[in-house]
Formats: sequence, structure tokens, C-alpha cells
Amino acid sequence: MKALGGAEAADSTHPPPRVYKPEMPRGWWLRQRHYFLYIIREFTALPMALWLLWLLYEIQRASNGPKGYYPPSSPAFIVFSIIVLAFALYHTYTFLSLAGVIIHIKGVPSRLIVLSQFAAWLVASAVIAAVLIGFAR
Amino acid sequence: MAEKRITVRATRFDPAKDKAPRLQSYDIPFADESMVVLDALNHIKAHVDGSLSYRWSCRMGICGSCGMMINGIPKLTCNAFLRDYWPRSITVEPLNNFPIVRDLVIDMEDFMHKLKSIKPWIIRKQEYPLGAGEHRQTMDQIDEFRQFSECINCMLCYAACPVYGLNNEFLGPAATALARRYDLDSRDQGIKERLPVLANSEGVWECSFVGECSVVCPKGVDPAKAIQQTKLDTTMRFVLPYGNREE
Repeated sequence: MKALGGAEAADSTHPPPRVYKPEMPRGWWLRQRHYFLYIIREFTALPMALWLLWLLYEIQRASNGPKGYYPPSSPAFIVFSIIVLAFALYHTYTFLSLAGVIIHIKGVPSRLIVLSQFAAWLVASAVIAAVLIGFAR
Repeated sequence: MAEKRITVRATRFDPAKDKAPRLQSYDIPFADESMVVLDALNHIKAHVDGSLSYRWSCRMGICGSCGMMINGIPKLTCNAFLRDYWPRSITVEPLNNFPIVRDLVIDMEDFMHKLKSIKPWIIRKQEYPLGAGEHRQTMDQIDEFRQFSECINCMLCYAACPVYGLNNEFLGPAATALARRYDLDSRDQGIKERLPVLANSEGVWECSFVGECSVVCPKGVDPAKAIQQTKLDTTMRFVLPYGNREE
């Protein structure tokens, strides 16, 4: 049986176990679409953490001023950044969608709470983009 | 016209003889469109193999006894219609994540222990004599906790929860939902007695929000919501200066 593994071997000197304790199969997260999407959601944190570590390193490099600073522009890095951006968008989407489940305000429909989170996200993104573009000019 | 039939594969495990569970196939008549998986198991027990063991009681989705894995999904067998599977075969296994006692019967001791640990009853600081009258509630106050009180302790949510499967110490979905049911009850004053169980490392913080517990619940309870709201509550009680006030 695929779902039930990890039998304790019962030999002739020991009586068989009173109960059978199944173990989670290694591929449990491939058994269902929902589990798979959950693992993807959790996994997105890892490449995002790597990318953010790199960002900290770049900030440190840029701290000496624009002289001698060259941002990385290799195709591999751009591809990695695009993948991480997709992961970040997916993670953000799942996180903000859950706000309706977590936040409970009497008389306010959960749909409205979720929409307000997405609106706040868009406003924050626009402000950050404006600041960054403004500084770049 | 040939009689309609369906193949049911059921887990068999005899602790006195078997090292591990195995699946046994039964070909049974699918005589009536209203037949559910529990009817199929009852047919096998009555007409094919009387030694097949499984739990059941009410046949109407109330008692929570007949939960099993049906084609890999935790369901109440009294609420799973054969017509939704036929002509495919049906595989019936014991609920995931629990020790197997025999055939389709699981050991529910761990769940019972967890259920008791969250004190699923109304706790009052001071009990009033019956003559003092009833504890009145408005409909709004009832609506605060009503959905969590629908839990029938069927344990489908534990079978669907990979976090519990990987770490049996986790308090789990139903116990948290029931704790929330009493914490939100305007008559209850026992939140501080439940918090040590809910807020410890094997309590709500072990949950990483898979959400499948709420998907499989046959009564429309949302344990994932109960867990996340309890996380928010415990955090607020910790960070806000008035969070630990007497209630």
C-alpha cells in the first residue's frame, strides 16, 4: 500500500505490534493539487530570501557611492530575478488572500478586507516605485 | 440487463497476524443509486466477509464515527455516494495520520487527549446557582461561535493535515476550532486556561496554513480560520499592554 509504509518488522521472538503506525510517504505533497500548491507557496520563501541577501550585499557595495559601482546585468541574474519576482507575486497573492480568513471585523465582509489589502499593496508599490524612479533621475 | 456492480477495495489488517495493512478487493452489487460507501461496507460485512471491522453509528453525518479515506480523500462514508465514483472502483482506507488498530479502525486516543486538553466546556469564574437564572445570549453573540460548534469530532481534518501527519504533537485543527468555539462564547470565561495549550510551540504556531482541514470538513467548520484567528489573538494579548486584561 502506497499510503501506508514503515511497517515494523515482527519476528518470531516478538509478538506483532498491537497497532500499525503508518508513516507519511515522502511524496505526500504530490498526492494532491492543494498540497502541491501549499509546498510551492512555502518554497517561494527560499529563493526570495536568497535574492534579498543579494540585495543587502548590493546595498553594502553601493554605499561607497556611484563611482565604481556596477549593478549585475548578466542574463542568468535577470532570469533569476524574474523567477523570484513571479514567486514574490504568488507569495503576496496567497498571503493577502488569507487576510479575509484571519482578520475578523464585525459587519465588514471578508471580501472587502481582502480587497483593502490588495489596494494597500498597490498604493505601497506605487509609492515605492515613484520614490525609486524619482531618485534615479 | 446485467446487474450493476462496483469494486470496493478495503484495508485489511489483523494485528495478531499481519505485519502491515493490505488491500482486499470486493465486487459487490450496486443496486440502489442512494447507496453510500458505508452501505457497501455493510454489504461486505453482512454477505461477503463478516470479519471486516470499521466504526459507524448514525448513518446521517451526525455522529462522526465513519470517517475513512475514500480514494485518498478523508470523507464520512455515510455521506459518500457510490454513484459519484461508479464505474471507477473505490478504495477505502483508515484515516491517515492515525495508528491502525484493525482493518479500517483507527486508534483515536491521541485526538481524545487533545480534545480534553483544551477544556471544551463553558468555564465560569464563579458558578451561580440555577435559581439565579439563565445566561442570556443575543443572536449576534451566538453567531460569533456558531460555525465552530458544528464540529462532530470526526477527525477528517486531522487526516487531511500534513502538519499533524509529520508531527503528532501538533494540537491540530478540530481541537483548536473547539477551543475557539468556547473562547468566543459570551458565557465563557476560560480563555486563560486554554491559552497555555493553544499558544505553546505545539499549539496554533505549529500550523503553516495548508488549509485542507477546512476543505474536508463535512460540517462546514473552518478550523484553519480558527487557528489563524487564535494566532492573531495570542499575538495581540502578548504585544498590547491591555492584552492580558481580565475578561
